[in-house]
Amino acid sequence: MIRRLRTPHGALALPAWVFLLGFFVAPVALVVWYSFGYKPGLFGTHANDVLSLDRYGQALSGTFVRTFWNTLRIAVVGTLICLVVALPFAYWLAVKVPPRRRGLVLALVMVPFWTNFLVRTLGWQIALSPQGPFSTAWQALGGDPFDVLYTRGAVQLGVVYNYLPLMLLPLYVALERTSHALREASRDLGAGRWRTFTDVTLPLAFPGIASGSLLVFVPLMGDYVTATVLGGARGNMVGQLVAGQFQTAQDWALGSAMAVVLVLLTGGTVLLTALGVLLVRRVRRARRHVEVVR
Amino acid sequence: MIDERPPAVVPPHRARRRGRSRSDVLLGVWGVLVLLFLFLPIAVIVVYSFNSGRLLTSWGGAGFQAYTAGLSRPVIRAAVVTSLQAAAGAALLSAVIGSLAALALARVGGRWAAALTLLLGLTLVTPEIVDAISLLGWFVSLDTEAGLPLFGDGLARLVVAHSVLSTAVVAFIVRARVAGLDTRLEEAAADLYATPWGRFRDVTLPLAAPGVLAGGLMAFTLSLDNTIVASFVALPGATPWPVYVFSSLRAGLRPEIAAVSTLLLLLTLVSLAVVAFVLRRSGDSASGIARTMAGG
Repeated sequence: MIRRLRTPHGALALPAWVFLLGFFVAPVALVVWYSFGYKPGLFGTHANDVLSLDRYGQALSGTFVRTFWNTLRIAVVGTLICLVVALPFAYWLAVKVPPRRRGLVLALVMVPFWTNFLVRTLGWQIALSPQGPFSTAWQALGGDPFDVLYTRGAVQLGVVYNYLPLMLLPLYVALERTSHALREASRDLGAGRWRTFTDVTLPLAFPGIASGSLLVFVPLMGDYVTATVLGGARGNMVGQLVAGQFQTAQDWALGSAMAVVLVLLTGGTVLLTALGVLLVRRVRRARRHVEVVR
Repeated sequence: MIDERPPAVVPPHRARRRGRSRSDVLLGVWGVLVLLFLFLPIAVIVVYSFNSGRLLTSWGGAGFQAYTAGLSRPVIRAAVVTSLQAAAGAALLSAVIGSLAALALARVGGRWAAALTLLLGLTLVTPEIVDAISLLGWFVSLDTEAGLPLFGDGLARLVVAHSVLSTAVVAFIVRARVAGLDTRLEEAAADLYATPWGRFRDVTLPLAAPGVLAGGLMAFTLSLDNTIVASFVALPGATPWPVYVFSSLRAGLRPEIAAVSTLLLLLTLVSLAVVAFVLRRSGDSASGIARTMAGG
């Protein structure tokens, strides 16, 4: 008879609990606490003897809101471009590339993903700079020197590049799980290629689209490296504003309030989008009806 | 477009050959273009690491000067050494904590496991800037107010901060591996009078080892790569490599940065190849490896 294991397996999770409570939950709670405080004079960073919501009022004024909308625009456009670029690629990789060679192509996708984020962005800085190789070649052909570096376009390109693998991989995993038989059945039942793609493949890939969009959108909202390297020192993204409060202005109270607002608004955007998508799916499903063509 | 021919008549192999139509060619072209796009900046960095000019962005002829200069400058060497030490420490710490958590998650269900999974998931989706500022404040408090001088040490700060980011990655990789194991193996060991520790050492650990190694190496590369959190928690005297690069953006980038980055890229590639090899040998498919490496 099999003996029941009497191992205190639950105790194995203890180090993780202690570590995460001590270095994730507590620090984040501290930031929330700081956000109710204020900056005491020139040399202090934060004080909490008087609590107020004033920092939130300050955070939600002019610059921050404008920067937030700008960040949101870059993040939404970036996520959509990533999706449009990644979907055909993931479909190609999961369906068209022969299984033998799939590992190789995947490895090729993985290499940029695991190359240093900052170094890749520097690569773009060189590629886009007016003295860079492409600009020089363009000038040799009679064009003007490049004037893209330190513009919104450069930041947009940079974020699409940096977050593309985070969209590619979940999409590939989702599409790879869809079976060939389902697509063949759809074709056998008279659906064309496009119809098969929109009515069979795309719904099956939905979990990949959702997790890919999440993996791109959320870190993108907090990114400030890409914007600093390709967009210049002018703060264009919320991450830069928050970082500036801690590293330059030394106002930890205001920086904390900005960070809390950033997290809440990002979470809110994700929730609203998820609700919207679920609603559309439900309506579409309810209105779909099957016509049997004889 | 609707296929006019009755599909049942076309034998499958013929259908596949006919399927190599214009849309397939377009998809293939798109695939190659995306791969080129992904490699463009990396190729630029590697090529410009052989730039013998004074500034990184303007080409001044080919040469190996950047490599010799980069490897001989004490600041750069110190930064790379700090990065490697922090990465090794973070890999070790998060491999231990994450693997133990994964064993607990895989073997014990219920509310506590769900709560821990949620907490680990939260560490993955928190924007890095939030981790960065919260750990900065926390370390400063622990150091100055709680009187724990350990958190006034730059390297210790980096190890702890990077472990916060990678514990979840390790835990999810190892959990996926352990969940696929047969619990009867452990039960058999118990029936044969193995002590809980003996069972863990001789049965569970060897079976989970590929996952632990993959997770640890992943944590190593994540730490080596980290810029945002590191640039907040790092202290003078223990500046990791990405923070050095980020801070030299203002002073003007020199080709040494590309040269040392190229060397570190080679290191990352080798450790990734080891991860892929280990996972492959333990029987994972290509997509399983992709899933693992995407961190979830």
